[in-house]
Amino acid sequence: MARVLSLLGALSLAACWPAAAQERPVVVVTPGTEHRYRVAVQRFADLSSQPDSSRALSFRRDLVEALDFSSVFVSLDLGAFLGPEVTEAVDAPPICSDWVQIGADALVQGEIRAMTGRTEAEFSVWDTARCRRLLRRRHAAPAGEVRFVARRIADDVAEAFTGVRGVAATELSFVSDRGGTPEIYVMDADGGHPRSVTSNGSINNFPSWSPDGKSILYTSYRSGNRPKLFLTTRGRRRSGSLLPRLNSDLPQYRAVFDPTGRMLAAVLSADGAAEIFTVRSNGRRLRRLTKNRAIDIAPTWSPDGRRIAFVSDRSGSPQIYIMDADGRNVRRLTYQGTYNTHPAWSPEGGWIVYETRLKGQFDIWLIDPEGNVNVPLVSHPRSDESPAWAPNGRKLAFSSTRRGAADIYIIDLSGDNLRRLTSRAGHNTSPAWGPQPR
Amino acid sequence: MVGFDLGETRRREARRALALSAGAHLVLLGLLLAIPETDPVVLPGVIAVELVAAPSPPRRVARRPEPIASPPVPQKVVLPEEPVLPEPVVDLEKEYQDLMAQLREELGEVAPELAAARTEAAAESGGLAVSPEVAAWIRSAKIHVRSAWVLPPGFRTQLLQTHVAVDLAAGGSVIGEPRVVRRSGNPWYDENVVRAIQKASPLPAPPEAGEWAFVFVPEDSY
Repeated sequence: MARVLSLLGALSLAACWPAAAQERPVVVVTPGTEHRYRVAVQRFADLSSQPDSSRALSFRRDLVEALDFSSVFVSLDLGAFLGPEVTEAVDAPPICSDWVQIGADALVQGEIRAMTGRTEAEFSVWDTARCRRLLRRRHAAPAGEVRFVARRIADDVAEAFTGVRGVAATELSFVSDRGGTPEIYVMDADGGHPRSVTSNGSINNFPSWSPDGKSILYTSYRSGNRPKLFLTTRGRRRSGSLLPRLNSDLPQYRAVFDPTGRMLAAVLSADGAAEIFTVRSNGRRLRRLTKNRAIDIAPTWSPDGRRIAFVSDRSGSPQIYIMDADGRNVRRLTYQGTYNTHPAWSPEGGWIVYETRLKGQFDIWLIDPEGNVNVPLVSHPRSDESPAWAPNGRKLAFSSTRRGAADIYIIDLSGDNLRRLTSRAGHNTSPAWGPQPR
Repeated sequence: MVGFDLGETRRREARRALALSAGAHLVLLGLLLAIPETDPVVLPGVIAVELVAAPSPPRRVARRPEPIASPPVPQKVVLPEEPVLPEPVVDLEKEYQDLMAQLREELGEVAPELAAARTEAAAESGGLAVSPEVAAWIRSAKIHVRSAWVLPPGFRTQLLQTHVAVDLAAGGSVIGEPRVVRRSGNPWYDENVVRAIQKASPLPAPPEAGEWAFVFVPEDSY
């Protein structure tokens, strides 16, 4: 009878079990807290005709700093290495298990050569878990700019692992009055090597990069005590008026290049109010996009160049609007808050970052171009203003008075890795993040 | 008592019906006895009898296991012409009902901890009913792979989903390269996922060696 019972039980169970008997379940994995790959950076083999023991160490330090800046990697100490500290040959396959054992996800090995007037580095990036080389490349720079080579390598490594290029080798432009008057400055993306671009003793503001990174457009009162647009270009000693053909009596408040660099969206004075125009960068084909009594300012291009977001107080308070690049199809984007300004369209197109006034100070928020998602990115009791995107869309720069005088800060789009770039040097405002170097 | 006399014809019909019923029970009994003692189906202690409502379960990519042998079924059932009404039929039926009641109890109606385990097991597997043993492995595999998975912030806000078929040895080692069977649309994310599986090897030993399906989703996009 026991057998009958067990068989009866088996039959009834089997009847209830058709799916499980035929298929295996799926393991659904969601991410944990690990955000950064662990990278082992070897000391590059120094193949210079006159090797210098400090050269490779200092290069490694620069490379490690630049990788850390990416927010994608954290580097392992040389002391933890089981494998060789110094690269034997850039093309020699590593013993991956040595690197996996110390927890390295990535290995960077390379060679460095200091030559007359320039330094060259060749490197390989390995995915240790799969023991596969992802990249091999060579970079060179003038002898005094070895750090730039290290940064380019770090940006390459980030791209090899994520598909998104790092921004360690980029620059930021900003306005600082550290010398007495507000002038345009440029610094490296980590805040290093700040240098002035203008020194005209007047008021200079709103720097904006050309897409090729060779020029910076800005507004200056240097001529006739009226705001006017100027362009400064690398390698040229003096910057020149950008739109000399336009009526020189009318104030030119601000302009930004479109993604191609051939067109500008400009804020010019018309009929007594600030209005938005488009104009070719040679000054031709001036076209007025907004026409009303309200103030229309702060244009920013969508990455495809088809739309422009801007600020208007036509509703009674400053709000963000979007229109087509020909001025048609204007629609209001922000409805939350009574003072929203300074929009910047993300390089990937999915976000518009802007500043919003809350309790008398500004916070930085993100909104999608359809207005469906509207979320805070930076909140602080002191003001955070003038957000600007890094060219890879993964970081933003802004100015903040959280330490008293305004300083430039950067932060990841995720809200992590806040970092101050300027310090104890006047008021630092209006950051503009330059493009990837070519 | 005339009123209760059904007459010869109706009595014959009743007897035939009874005989048919008895015959059917006998056939069922015979059928059960004909099944081999060894059970080809590895049956779990706890089962789920219904699918748990879950967000559309991901496409399953596991290779289908070998079909499980079903019990032999007689091709033709011949009813005896003149069945003899056996006495124990009633007892067997009652026994059967008792057994079913007992099974129903065991299936969770009076055992909440079993019902909870069943629900959890089903939930773990994305709606597919699984044994506690498999559910426990899924849980530990998930935790293990997650700890090896490095996901930079840029991926976390995207709508991505990569399905990977992973060949696991009995001890949990990943054999060869995991196979991406459904791409996310972002090749670097797919690479990242394969890297995570490779790094996680060996996984906790699976209930059975062979190909298992993994789906990797950034938290907010699933």
